[in-house]
Order: sequence, then C-alpha cells, then structure tokens
Amino acid sequence: MQEQHCFEMSSVEEAAKLFGRGPVSSRPYYDPDRWELERQAIFMRSWLHVGHVCEIPEPGCFIRRDVEFARASLLIVRGKDGEVRAFHNVCTHRGTQLTDELSGKRSRFSCRYHMWTFGLDGALVSAPDFERFYVAKEDCSLKPVQAQVLAGMIFINFDPAPAQSVREFFGPIAEALEATPIARAVDFTEWSYEIEANWKTSFDNYQENYHLRVVHPRTGEPVLGPENPFGYPTHYGFCGPHRSQTLWKNPSPPPIPPIQLMTAMRGAALAQKDGLAFPKSDFKLFPNLHVVGLPPNQFSHTHMPLGPTRTRGQVRMYWTSKADSASRQFARELASMSVRDVLAEDRVAIESCQRGLSSGAIDKFHFQDHEVLLRHLYQEVEARVQAYVAEQQQSGVPA
Amino acid sequence: MNAAERSLPEGFEALEPFVERWAAGGVAERARRRDESSPQERQAFYDACAALAEGALDRLDEKPLDRLDAREERLRELLLSFAHVALAVEIQAEAEAAHAGLRRELRITHAPAD
Repeated sequence: MQEQHCFEMSSVEEAAKLFGRGPVSSRPYYDPDRWELERQAIFMRSWLHVGHVCEIPEPGCFIRRDVEFARASLLIVRGKDGEVRAFHNVCTHRGTQLTDELSGKRSRFSCRYHMWTFGLDGALVSAPDFERFYVAKEDCSLKPVQAQVLAGMIFINFDPAPAQSVREFFGPIAEALEATPIARAVDFTEWSYEIEANWKTSFDNYQENYHLRVVHPRTGEPVLGPENPFGYPTHYGFCGPHRSQTLWKNPSPPPIPPIQLMTAMRGAALAQKDGLAFPKSDFKLFPNLHVVGLPPNQFSHTHMPLGPTRTRGQVRMYWTSKADSASRQFARELASMSVRDVLAEDRVAIESCQRGLSSGAIDKFHFQDHEVLLRHLYQEVEARVQAYVAEQQQSGVPA
Repeated sequence: MNAAERSLPEGFEALEPFVERWAAGGVAERARRRDESSPQERQAFYDACAALAEGALDRLDEKPLDRLDAREERLRELLLSFAHVALAVEIQAEAEAAHAGLRRELRITHAPAD
C-alpha cells in the first residue's frame, strides 16, 4: 500500500498505546472561545487546500475563493510566467473588492470604483490622476497571500512567512500525493454542503468506521462481513500531524448488483487504458483535508470551518482526462453519485452529535481504540492551541 | 412507430416512453429528476433499460461525443439518468424516498460540461 511508504502503520493495539485511552474534553467541539484559539493557532497559519491547478490552466485564468473564517476573499491567479499566486481581492486604494466573479480569464484587474488597474502579478499598472496620491506605485500592489502547489492542489497560508513550505509540511506524504491521479487531474465533479457542526466533528465522521453499519446499512454493506462486522480498518498510520488507515478487504463481499458491476468493469477497463493503476489510499491531512483513493477514482473532501459549530464540506472527484466517450461519462456519473449517496447519509448523525455536544451535557467523553485517528487529531489540535497560548503569554498579549 | 416519430436510434424503441421524463442535460438536473421521481417511475425505467444499457453504451462509444446526432445525444442523456436510477433501484431500494432528502443538501456545484 502506498501510504505505508510515508505513514508509520500500526495495529489498532499499537496505535492505542501510542495515543492513550483517557477521556477527552468536549469543549473543543463547540466552545466559541476555543474556536477563536483554533482559528488563530491553526487556520490562520496552516496550509489550506482551496483549489486545483486545472481550474486555472492558462495565464490570466483566475478563481475567487471566499475564506469566511478569515473574512477574506482571495484571487488565485495564473500569471504570465505560469506561476500560481494568491492576492486579497481588495483594491489597495480604498478596499473595494475587485471582482464578484467566481472564475474567469483576463489580463488585468480593474477596480469598479476608481479604475485602479492591477496586473496578473498584483502590481499596480495604472490609476487615474495618480500623481495626487503622493505614494509610489510599487507600494500599492495587491496584498499577497502565500500560495503553493503540491500534486496539482493549490494551498494557501494566511501566515505571511510560513514556518514550512507546503512540501516540508507534508514531508514524505508529498511524494505519495504526487503519485496519485489528483496530481494530473484535468477536471472534476464537485458538490458542497454546509453543516451545523464543528470542523472536527465533521472531519471525525470520516475518521472512524464504527458508525458504518448503523449509518450506512445499504451503501456500507460491501465493506462489512462476519469476520469484521464493523468494517474496521486493519492498520492506522501516522506521520506528524497527518493520519491514514488501511481498509479491510472483505474476502466474501455480497454480490454486486448488475448495473453497478457492469459500470465498475467498464470503469476499470478505461482506467487501465488511462494508466490509472494505483493502490487504495487514504490521506487525512492536517488540518482539514481528506484525500481518498478508491481505484479507479479519487476524491478530496475539505472541512472548512465557518464558525464554532458550522462547517462547509466540499467534495471533488477528480478526472485525469476529458470525458471523451459515453462509457466514460456513464462510469464517472455513477461513480461520483455513488460517493455522494454515501456521504449524504452521514449528515443527520453528525448534526445530531453536534447538538448534543453543544448542549454541554457531557463535559468529557471516550474514544474507543478504533477511534484513534480522532484522538490523534484532538491531540494535534490541542498541542497547537497550547503552543499558541504560551506564545501569546510570552509576548504579553492576553490570549 | 415510423422512423420520423422516433427520437432514439434504431434498436432502442423500448426506451421511447422514458425520454420525456429522463433525458436531461447536466448531472445536477439528472440528480433532481431522480429525487423527484416515484418508485414506479424508477422501476419501470430500470426494467426497460437494464438489459439495453450495455448495448447502448457500445453503440454510442463508436463515435466521438461531439459527433453524436440528435437521437444519439438523447440516448446519451437517457443513459446518464439511468446511472442515477440504478443507484436508487439497486442500492437504496425502499430507502430511496428518505435518502432523497439527505442528498438534497449536497449541492452539485461543478461538473465537466455535459
């Protein structure tokens, strides 16, 4: 398995020993003050996945991404030199947002208010009657936001001087991601949703299989068996703040219904033709990105916090070629809707879990051994929040 | 039915009754049609199309997508809706009605041009 090259894979017992078995506090899952600490300690200084290079294939192509937790609107632009850059969608004259468009292609950005005009590199190109400002054009460039590309995925970081590059941050995982189809994707199918849940409550659902047989009695059936009635993974893996799991392979899955089987076989034949041979993979990347490879398909799932108990989920199934035949379209339509069907089933349980946590009725709870990935995320978040609080105290700023 | 009345390529006459209900452009629109259909509509379409789907895909695969004629294009849209219906009938079965409510919140926001 691919992830075994970059994650230290452990049995469930070994993993539990690494991360303990004590109770955890429920407060980080709903408290607004705690969310503010996580926002500062994690989201304002981590690499966050916000798009893919296939959205901006040519110089002048741009996408706009609104990042609510930072109250930011970003322009992510492919420059004339081919580089991907991110800027605040904010005119440096008096702050007007430069565009309302979600995507497009242009050679410069002109402000609708007073016609300040910026190049694709963010430089101020022209501004009417500029001599009356008594400032240098060089000091009026669009405000940049750190942006780096890894495996085709665009990551941004609100920290103006990140401690690590995105490649350093992912360490050995970077190379594994580059070997996946996402790195050469040319298009994708996407759906998004908002959920009344803390970002960790939302992400945690996809970090354990304990719920499968209850929440997914139909769509989960192929991954449950008498030898493993919960469909638990066989191994859990860790690499810094990132996690992985090895899914159990059901030796005697139930019969596949006829159209699902026909589609899977056509999809597999097309994947072989495309050279899409890759192993099952699972990357749970800090803080909020999940990349899942279920050959021949691969999807990403981001959990973008909107507030202490509100999150936007965005799922993308990536395609490495344009759909050039009816069979390819059919296989992709069924595969993407099949994943959407599964993920649709989780929402009600997650929101119900959040309402209970938010009530404050239980001040602590326990993760079982097969919820060790949730515990790992909890600990990684906790460590960063504590480090941030210590840092603030040292610099004399009350946290 | 004479050739002028047919809206699908020859050999797929059995699917004519389903064209109006199910032939639709765009994955979001096809998902919506699944959501709004009755169990009887889904089952009738499934029963008629299951045995023809492979042959229909083979037939359409003979041409690049941009060279499909109007009848082939209609068949293509019908088949893509069939992918949704196959999930409803084969996987969700009697849970489909409740499942439709769960899916609706997952809004399809981008798909390759289709």
